[in-house]
Amino acid sequence: MPLLHIVDGKTVDAGKRTILARFASFLCDPFVSAWRHRDLIDAILRRELAERFKGSVAGWVWAITAPLLSLIVYTVAFSGGPVQLPGGSASGSNFDYALFIFGGLIAFNFFTEMAYRAPSLLHEYAHFIKQTMFPAEMLPIISTLRATAYATIGLILMLLAQLVLTGTLHLTVLLLPLWYVPFVAFLIGLTWTLSAAGAFTRDTAYLMMTVAPLLMFATPVFFSTDSFSPTLKLVFYLNLLTGFIEVLRDIVVFGRLPDPLVCLWVMFCSLATFYFGFWFFGKQRDSIADVI
Amino acid sequence: MSSEPDVIIRARHLSKAYRLYGNEQQWMKQVLFGSWHTYYRSFWALKDISFEVRRGQSLGILGRNGCGKSTLLQIVCGMIRPTRGEIWVSGRIAPVLALGGTFDSESTGRQNVLIGGAVLGLKRPEILARLDSIAEFAGIGDFMNQPVKLYSTGMRMRLAFAICAHIDPEILVVDEALAVGDAAFQRKCMDWIDAFRKRGTLLFVSHSTAEVLRLCKQALWIDDGRVRAHGDTLDVIRAYSKASRVEHDDMKRFSAV
Repeated sequence: MPLLHIVDGKTVDAGKRTILARFASFLCDPFVSAWRHRDLIDAILRRELAERFKGSVAGWVWAITAPLLSLIVYTVAFSGGPVQLPGGSASGSNFDYALFIFGGLIAFNFFTEMAYRAPSLLHEYAHFIKQTMFPAEMLPIISTLRATAYATIGLILMLLAQLVLTGTLHLTVLLLPLWYVPFVAFLIGLTWTLSAAGAFTRDTAYLMMTVAPLLMFATPVFFSTDSFSPTLKLVFYLNLLTGFIEVLRDIVVFGRLPDPLVCLWVMFCSLATFYFGFWFFGKQRDSIADVI
Repeated sequence: MSSEPDVIIRARHLSKAYRLYGNEQQWMKQVLFGSWHTYYRSFWALKDISFEVRRGQSLGILGRNGCGKSTLLQIVCGMIRPTRGEIWVSGRIAPVLALGGTFDSESTGRQNVLIGGAVLGLKRPEILARLDSIAEFAGIGDFMNQPVKLYSTGMRMRLAFAICAHIDPEILVVDEALAVGDAAFQRKCMDWIDAFRKRGTLLFVSHSTAEVLRLCKQALWIDDGRVRAHGDTLDVIRAYSKASRVEHDDMKRFSAV
């Protein structure tokens, strides 16, 4: 098999295949490609993780300090007296509201980290894309994995805080991996889309800087949608983050199984965003080296 | 697939167009209304280039600055895609272009070797096993664990070349990059390339016709994106030098005015 075979700007596919076979291979492609480039992902991820706090003496202590401080601040600020949890959910302790907000913020900050970085991601690696045979579609995966590491630190801190403050952890916490995988897939898809668009125009970065802070209030971070009218609730679910945040809070803070409909919607959003991003990036990737 | 069994690189009617936009608005219009109207001017960097390189052969590429040599090398290395035509490459390529350009100056030499090796398709254990040999070839000793920003330009280039020399390429693509290094480094690289030539395929771009003549049996002269001459190196170089001399006369005429 040749290493490189391009005719009229298109990579030559090995043999003709039916539509169904092509669709199946499209579904497998992200995973096949990631597996093939696993050593590259490993090498760059190591660099990315080391780079984040490069030049600081405390280094990774910062990664723990930031979420820890915000957790302490929320706890102090919201533990003055018994607080009625938004939506009238059973409030066991005074600390629940702090954990409630913190849970929302973990997911939201995870999202904003990717939303801010994605548009400039390919510019950061322009020298690789222009000067080497570089699988640029791996960069969104790598950067999302790096952000996953920080989000996980926050999540572990939250679980520890819950254990210390309320004395128990809900059994449903075991479902966390089932929340993690779709959310990471959703963010990878988002990063594929935003980074490909960002390669062409810097407006993508400005757009995200304008939209993301506003989105914080269109996302149930500080409140819950439980008390809203069904119509308003549906509108909120159009914001894809809503579903993810509610599921996270259900399994970690409230210790109850999330609504199956919401779960389905979350799974659908995740898969759709993931494959749309992959498709979009693949469509643009040939022109990326020319414009970056 | 290949017309002849030992062909390793085949280019047929390769053309590459870059889109030039007057401003950002035109680009946006192209994205939105591109199906109905064209808002860019095409700049054809390469026009209808065809050639074949067989396994073990060396091809020298000559041409003035901006004639499309680098674009052609980038296409062969798979960094950019041709707009038209066919490119077929079968073998691991080590691109010796813009040496050290991909280094991250905050990371150490060691980290950069690990990333650079992975980008060129090496497995992590393979790179780790060759790390000492790479450091020795580059001759940078203890600096391997220092950030690359502390390196001199020469050290960066030596390290980058050392990586390329250690990935067991089947095809080596060498740009003018080497011309920047000092004499000792150039000789070391040339010695290595000489040895490589005996087992691998070489694409060699240089302004030094003497080097091209020494290394390559075949040469390709590109002028303004087209193949001006292709064949035996000596013939191509004669034609090329003659054309350069004519131009030189032109220049004298202008400077006299």
